[in-house]
Amino acid sequence: MNLAVDIVKRGNKRRSEAFDCAKLRRSIMATCHSLKTPEGQSHMIADAVCSHVIDWLENRPEVTSDDLRLVAARHLKIHHPEAAYIYEQHHMII
Amino acid sequence: MARKYEFDYDLIVIGSGAGGSAAATITAREGLKVAIIEDNVWGGESPNWGDVPAKALLHAANLYDEAKHGARFGLRSATLGYNYPSIRTWKDLAIKRTGAGGNRKYYDNQDVDTYSGPAHFLSPNEISVNRRHLSAGNFLIATGCRYVAPKIPGLDKIEYFTPHTILETLRPPKTLLIIGGNEDGVEIAQLMATFGTKVYIVEESDHLLSEYDNEVCDLIERVMTEQKGVTILTQAKVALVEKEGLGKKVIVSRGGVDKSLRVDEILVAIDRKPAVDMGLENADVKYSEAGIKVNEHLQTSTKHIYAAGSVLGTNSATHTAIMESHVVASNLTNLAKVSPDYHAIPNLIFTNPGIATVGKSEKHCIRKRLGYKKAVAPLSIIGRSNTSDFRDGFVKIITDKRGVVKGATVVAPHAAEIIHELVLAVNCRLTAADLATTPHAFLSWSEAVRVAAANLILGK
Repeated sequence: MNLAVDIVKRGNKRRSEAFDCAKLRRSIMATCHSLKTPEGQSHMIADAVCSHVIDWLENRPEVTSDDLRLVAARHLKIHHPEAAYIYEQHHMII
Repeated sequence: MARKYEFDYDLIVIGSGAGGSAAATITAREGLKVAIIEDNVWGGESPNWGDVPAKALLHAANLYDEAKHGARFGLRSATLGYNYPSIRTWKDLAIKRTGAGGNRKYYDNQDVDTYSGPAHFLSPNEISVNRRHLSAGNFLIATGCRYVAPKIPGLDKIEYFTPHTILETLRPPKTLLIIGGNEDGVEIAQLMATFGTKVYIVEESDHLLSEYDNEVCDLIERVMTEQKGVTILTQAKVALVEKEGLGKKVIVSRGGVDKSLRVDEILVAIDRKPAVDMGLENADVKYSEAGIKVNEHLQTSTKHIYAAGSVLGTNSATHTAIMESHVVASNLTNLAKVSPDYHAIPNLIFTNPGIATVGKSEKHCIRKRLGYKKAVAPLSIIGRSNTSDFRDGFVKIITDKRGVVKGATVVAPHAAEIIHELVLAVNCRLTAADLATTPHAFLSWSEAVRVAAANLILGK
């Protein structure tokens, strides 16, 4: 499900884009896969996190990509703390 | 030459309540380009769902209560009744007459641009309101706080009141369970009990209004139970709530024993959390669930972003938020920065008798091991208690060792008016002798202030 929410990219340097739930789901799945989380568990976690993020976005027409990452990580931490750490830090990990 | 950045506004205020309104209008008057954003009803909590409607209803309740007990003065009040929809109409009129509720036009007249919708920081100088990007050199966050549901099993599955929503109820429920014996809980307990509701209060600590001095707790508990028929369950916790027919079943755990109650409605009067969910991370503003952190000039960790009111996590009263808003306005328009002075802020509870405090309480002095002197003057020793046939209350004054007034508590009819003499005393560092030698009119409630001050001098 895609909401009519605009995502302002980091530093407002690139054009904003519409919220894409599938993209968010893919990113969470990829993080879970990187930690060798079982496929079924990864799907469940991704569904739960996406559902929380969609709830959070309900009354927000525009948020930043950092907000999205932060909120997703906050909920991911409940289900998979290690994945949440990787999700938050992946752009800093060489 | 230093580059001058251009922004849409000099100041953007987020929240049109007590914390934001004064700063917006003052700075606009000083020539700054100002915008204000509100995502709910214009005017914020106090005029729309807080102080104004609650006090309008309490005024009607107190009139009804006094008239009901008028037989001792020779008044015939056996057939006295009330019409709750008409009382609600009176409450709505009171809101309208304050001029602050739904007052968007007021800002337009003050040359303040208005925007409706949730505000969300995109960067330290940019905010988004309904996909519209606004930039400003300074921001003031005055979003107040919101009631959040406490973690009580079953609470998420039933409908319950908050101190805001109960003021909109069509009629007082037959039975009401209030979770939380704080200021809001006690005021609403008295309001509903006066209109005939059987009220239960569940409080985790050992007293109602547990932050207040013991004399206040004891007196208000006695008035509530003996005069209003309220059942007070202290040192108790709600363990479970569930729907049962048209009402609700509540399991209250007290001293290891579970007790089941069936009530028509539940009011949750605890757990107010600052409204901080507005992308503060994007603006590098440090905050926690308890509120936004500010320095003595009310600047957040990002210096051009200020915060005022209960979003600071202090659960401040409307007059405190207004004072903070004035401080922010002053800091934005003057080079010399000022700080809010909290040492003489009055705190009021509009029960009957009313409760008003200022400065340090005895409990605070004991906790901090401060040297202090105190004197209490019960209302029963002054003439007015005889002519009004009202004896439940007292005036208590706290001074330091040299007799300088440091705090006071008034429990009396019109306590909200009596306290201001003591607010002045605390603010101007007057002594008990100053109060005792000031003439106080015979048959005024304020005579108790003079008596308490005189007792301090005499060491009674």
